[in-house]
This record gives sequence, structure tokens and C-alpha cells, in this order.
Amino acid sequence: MSAILEVHNLAKSYGNFDAVKGISFEIHEGEIFSLLGPNGAGKTTTISMLSTLYTPTSGEATICGYSITNDTMAVKKCIGVVPQDLALYEDLSARENLSFWGQMYGLSGKSLKIRIDEVLEQIGLLDKAKLKVKTYSGGMKRRVNIGVGLLHQPRLLFMDEPTVGIDPQSRRAILDSVKDLNKNGMTVLYTTHYMEEAEELSNRVGIIDHGDLIAIGSQEELTKSVGETDTLILHVGEETNPETLAEEVRKIKGVLKAEVTDHQVSIITPTAEELLAQVVTHANNLGIKIKSIDIREPNLEAVFLNLTGRALRD
Amino acid sequence: MKKILAIIFKDTLVRFTSPIEWVFFLVLPIIFTVVIGASSGPSGDDRVNMIVVDQANNSLSETLITSLESSSSIKIEIREIEDANSALEQKKISSVLIIPENFNQQSLVSQNAELELQQLPNNTEALIAQQAVQAVLSRVSSVVDIANGSVARAESLPGFKFESEAALQVFFDSSLEKAQTLLADSPNRIIEEKGKTKDSVEFDPRSNASAGQLITWVFIPLIGLSGSFAYERQKGTLRRLLTTPTSKGLFLTGTIIGQVMTAIVQMLLLVLFGIFVMKLNWAQAPMALAVMLISSALAAAALGTMVGTFVKTESQANGLSIMIGMVMALMGGCWYPLELFPQTVQQIVKVLPTTWAMQGLLDIVLRGQGLTSILPEAGVLLGFTLIFMIIGIVRFKYE
Ligand SMILES: Nc1ncnc2c1ncn2[C@@H]1O[C@H](COP(=O)(O)OP(=O)(O)OP(=O)(O)O)[C@@H](O)[C@H]1O
Ligand SMILES: [Mg+2]
Repeated sequence: MSAILEVHNLAKSYGNFDAVKGISFEIHEGEIFSLLGPNGAGKTTTISMLSTLYTPTSGEATICGYSITNDTMAVKKCIGVVPQDLALYEDLSARENLSFWGQMYGLSGKSLKIRIDEVLEQIGLLDKAKLKVKTYSGGMKRRVNIGVGLLHQPRLLFMDEPTVGIDPQSRRAILDSVKDLNKNGMTVLYTTHYMEEAEELSNRVGIIDHGDLIAIGSQEELTKSVGETDTLILHVGEETNPETLAEEVRKIKGVLKAEVTDHQVSIITPTAEELLAQVVTHANNLGIKIKSIDIREPNLEAVFLNLTGRALRD
Repeated sequence: MKKILAIIFKDTLVRFTSPIEWVFFLVLPIIFTVVIGASSGPSGDDRVNMIVVDQANNSLSETLITSLESSSSIKIEIREIEDANSALEQKKISSVLIIPENFNQQSLVSQNAELELQQLPNNTEALIAQQAVQAVLSRVSSVVDIANGSVARAESLPGFKFESEAALQVFFDSSLEKAQTLLADSPNRIIEEKGKTKDSVEFDPRSNASAGQLITWVFIPLIGLSGSFAYERQKGTLRRLLTTPTSKGLFLTGTIIGQVMTAIVQMLLLVLFGIFVMKLNWAQAPMALAVMLISSALAAAALGTMVGTFVKTESQANGLSIMIGMVMALMGGCWYPLELFPQTVQQIVKVLPTTWAMQGLLDIVLRGQGLTSILPEAGVLLGFTLIFMIIGIVRFKYE
């Protein structure tokens, strides 16, 4: 498989602050590649550099064979961008928005009209196309925002957290449409901080944290790296201090890691079931009420926890 | 080219999406033009009102009042002192003239006669009234001088003597009357005060209003171009645009040309209103008019581009452009003729594009001049365009 995107030591600093610290990866034609990372990890900064908005502080990348620093116009023709924040004219209708953006991508006349109808169909807004965008729900706006990036049928589509802040139904629709697009041959770079989205969509995942790409590979490859471990998640009462429990749990033999986030303690261990009784006893001794317990097979969350010592979310 | 048209089309859609925009685009400018043009229109009575209190009630005070009545710059009304005072206090009137009891020939000659002129401070109308009273008074005194002269002449005739004081008074009165009729046709000095424009052309408030309001209402939205740049930045649409194969230059060109074209349409509509409804002389030099309208719009758009680099948000930009536009219009002579300003101010306001735009348009609509006489104004406006545009583009923020 040929690489449609190659990134070499790409870095971006804002003043003294290194938002992206020299990352390298490639995306193969036809795959969905997810950049998974928490808030502030550097996902948007990376996408901004790749879509030629920001000049990298150092490093280089090529897209469709063109350099993102020297051949920006050729790069822009090859990519579609769905920005994290809505970028639409809310006083115009969906159709007017698509028409304008289509022309900015160089479409015109009949082919523009055909594409607008196809995209409206795709994002399920054919019947509401004449209404002003500001009258739409959050989910509908997100869909128009995505539609704009599809108009010129780019070979490579950047989607920056396209499901943030919307209802589960719209989210489902968006995830399905990403898969559809991919089936029809579009390569997708998808950023998210939802592990489930990365798991569901991607052929390969890059985990990004504090500007570093700390792991990269297919889901199986990544989870294998944490070994045959499970994650035991204890949800505790709000009035208690889970840190004391985590401290006790770390002393138990067979516990690789125990981390606290909000009101849950995540324990990585190869022997979850066997530990369960001991953990509960410790909790009782400390007077900590356990509300529920989950045991999870190895997943990206565990990978992130293993690599950073922190949970992905919050 | 197609992309530029698309940008223009999009901007026009966005701008006129709210019906209120039409109010600013045409309705308000027309209302202001009509109201301001008419409030001081030459067809109506534009004399300054003044109350006269006559406490003397003699032939001389009557002469004075008749002269005042025939003045072309003030309109008088005879009232009692109490009425006069309260009108002045309530600022219903700007000047009150009190003719004291002791106002007669003798006191006038001996310079004891003191007319009392009460006025509101810092008021142009009061100033005009004062000048009118002085002019009339000097005419009356010269009439009295003449009558006194004839009395003296009669007395100096050998062997002639007035039989009584009464006879003398009768002679005096008739001389006064004669002198007055003779002087009645003499030119009134106040007229010069009225048409105080530098040039010989008479000031026409309707032309002034038409040109001035046109500039005001076209400059403000063009400076508001700063707002559309801020809007595109805030909405993230500018960022998105820069990820499409459309260059920054194309974006700037399209946005600016679009606004300038809209402004030119707006100006043409206002000019048409001036021609067909107000019967003004806009059409006499079409080339000159075209040059003036385009150069004014360009200067304002360039100013808007520059202002756009100093603001963060759309609402800041809107507030600022209304403020800048209004101040520039007021100081540029778009609301009051520049000639009313002190000489130094008249020099200082030459740093404003509105001043030049206004003078150029007045050359056409008021002074009936053509292309050659507006070239300096147009040149200065294009100079402004160049300076503002360079600063605006160099400083332009895409983030
Ligand atoms: N223009 C900027 N100036 C200074 N710092 C910035 C700028 N843009 C981003 N940053 C910082 O760079 C880091 C990475 O930001 P970025 O937007 O790339 O993160 P992200 O992974 O997209 O996060 P999120 O999930 O919240 O969108 C953050 O710490 C952010 O505060
Ligand atoms: Mg982001």
C-alpha cells in the first residue's frame, strides 16, 4: 500500500511552548487513521500544519506526493478539511454554504450542482437544504460542516473531532458516514479523544499526548503491547477518597498499575478476577463504598493508561 | 475570477440577509438627506428669530423696528419683557433685543442710547442676530445723522429760526422719513454674512445634504468592512477558506471589490434620488461623478481594511466604524458646511478622506464643475487608498 501522507519529525511551537514535538507517521491510501489523544494533545495543531494553515516550526510532510510547505496549492486540492469548530455562514442556508465552498474548491456550473445534491443526500439534509444554518440543531450543523469538506471528493479527508458535543444519534450517523466514505475509497485522518470511536473506525491508530506520538499501530498491535492484561475499573462513591484505595491496591501482588480519575480507580492486571476479592476487602477496610465494578479486555484506554499513567479522558 | 464573483455573491447574501440592512442602505440616508436638506432649505424661511421689546415707543424706535423687519437675515416678533425673558430662559429663542425708554434722537446722537441685546451663549443664530442688529442700527444712526444734519443746515440758514421746539421736531421727523426712504434701497450688509462660502456660488443646503449624507452612509459600512474580516476570523470561515485552493490575495480582492461595488450601487441610488426627487445637479458631469464615487469608495474600503487589523471582534469593528465614520463625516463637512468651521479647523480636517470626498462632490453638484476640477480631490483620495491599503494588507491578520 502506498502512503498518501508522510510526516517526518513535524514540530510546531507557539513561542516557548512546543505544541507538537517532532512526530512522524504515515497514512496509507484507503485507510482510516485515527489520532487519539486528550484535550490539548496537539491534534488540531497537527491537522492545521497538514492542511497548510500553519507553517511547521521544523520537519516536513508530503500529501499526495506534494510538500505541505512548498506546494500548498497542490496539497489543498488533494485534501478536504472538516475543522473541529463549525466554519459556516450561519445566515446562509445549507445549499448556499455548499455552493460557496464548492466554488472555493474550484467547482462550478452543473458539476457543482450535482455535487451539492449528492452531498446533501449524504448528510441527510436534502429536505432542509433551504433553511438557514442558524436554525439547525447542533448535529445538523456538524453534518453541514462535514459536507463542505466532501464537495470536491478529496483523496484524503481530515476530520478534527467531528462528533464533539452532539447527541448519540447524530454521532452514530457521522461514524457510519465516515465508514461509508472510506468504503468508497476515501482515505481519512480522524482525530478524537473518544477511545471507542478510534476503536470502531480505524485501521491504525496514533496515540498523541503532550505533542508526542507515543504509540502507533493497528489496534491489535497496540493492545498487545500492554500484554495479556485486563483493566479493572472500580466506581466509588463521591464522598470517598479513591487515592487511599489506589495506594493499598498497588501493594497487591499482580497489580501493574492503579490510577485514579474522578471517582474511579483503574487497575491494570493480568489477573483481574482473582484480585477482585482482595480489592473489595481493602475498600471495605478503608470504608470506601464501591458502586460498581467493570472488567475490561485490553483496549486503547488501557494502552493510554499504560503509556502515560493517566486515563484518556478528563 | 469565478471565485471572486462567488465571494462577492456570498458577502452580498450575508449582508442583506437581515431586512434592517436595507434601512441603513437606503431608507436612513434618504430620510436624513431630505430632513437636513429641508430644515435649512432656501425655499423655506430660514431667517433667525428674534424677540424685540419696545420700551421707548417713539418714532425712532419705530424706525428701528421697521428696519429690522425688512432685514433678510432676522425675523422679529414684538413682545412684552416678561414673555421675552421666559422665551430666552427656555431657549425657545436665541436673541432678545430691548429698546430702552431713553432711546431717542438725542440719546442716539450723544451715544447714550444703549440697546440691550440678550443672547444665548455660543449660538450661531445669536451671532447672526447680533450682526443684523448692528447693521440695522448703523443704518438708523446714519438716517438720524442725516436728519440731524438737515436740522443743523436749516438752522444755519441766515435769518431762519424754528418757531418752536415742536416745529423743529416736525422738521426732524420729516427729514428722518425722507432719509429712510432714500436709504431703503441701499444694499443690506447682512446679505454677505449669509452666503459666506469662499466661492461665489450660493450655499445650497439641499446639495450639501445630498452629498454629505451620501458620504456618511456609504463610508460607515465601508469602514465596516473591518467587521466582515473580523466575522470571517471569528467564525473560522477564513481559516477554512485558507484550506481550500483559494489564495489569500483572492479572498482580500473579492471581499474588498464586493463591498466597493455594493457601495457604488448605494451611491448611485442616492444620486438618482438626488436627481429625480430633489432635482439636484448631479448629472451635469457624469465622468467627474464616476471618478469621485469610485475614488471615495476605494478610500473608505481601504480605511476599513486597515481598521480591520486593529480590532478583534465583529462588534468592536462595528462600533468603531460607526464612530470613525460619524466623526469623519461631521469633521469633513458632510453635516455642516466646512466654511462654518474656524480657519484652523478647516486646515486640520484636510487629513480626513471625507473632507476631500465632500469637496469633490460639491464641486460637481453645487458648483457645477467638471472632471478637471475634481482631479485633485480624486488624487488625494486615491493617495489615501494606497496608504490605508498598504497598512491594511501588511498588518492583515488571518488568525
Ligand atoms: N495559537 C496558539 N497559541 C498558543 N498556544 C496554542 C495555540 N493553539 C494551540 N495552542 C496550545 O497547543 C496545545 C495543543 O493544542 P491543540 O489545539 O492542537 O490540541 P488538541 O489536541 O486539538 O486539543 P482538543 O482536543 O482540545 O481540541 C494546547 O496546549 C494549546 O493550548
Ligand atoms: Mg483540537
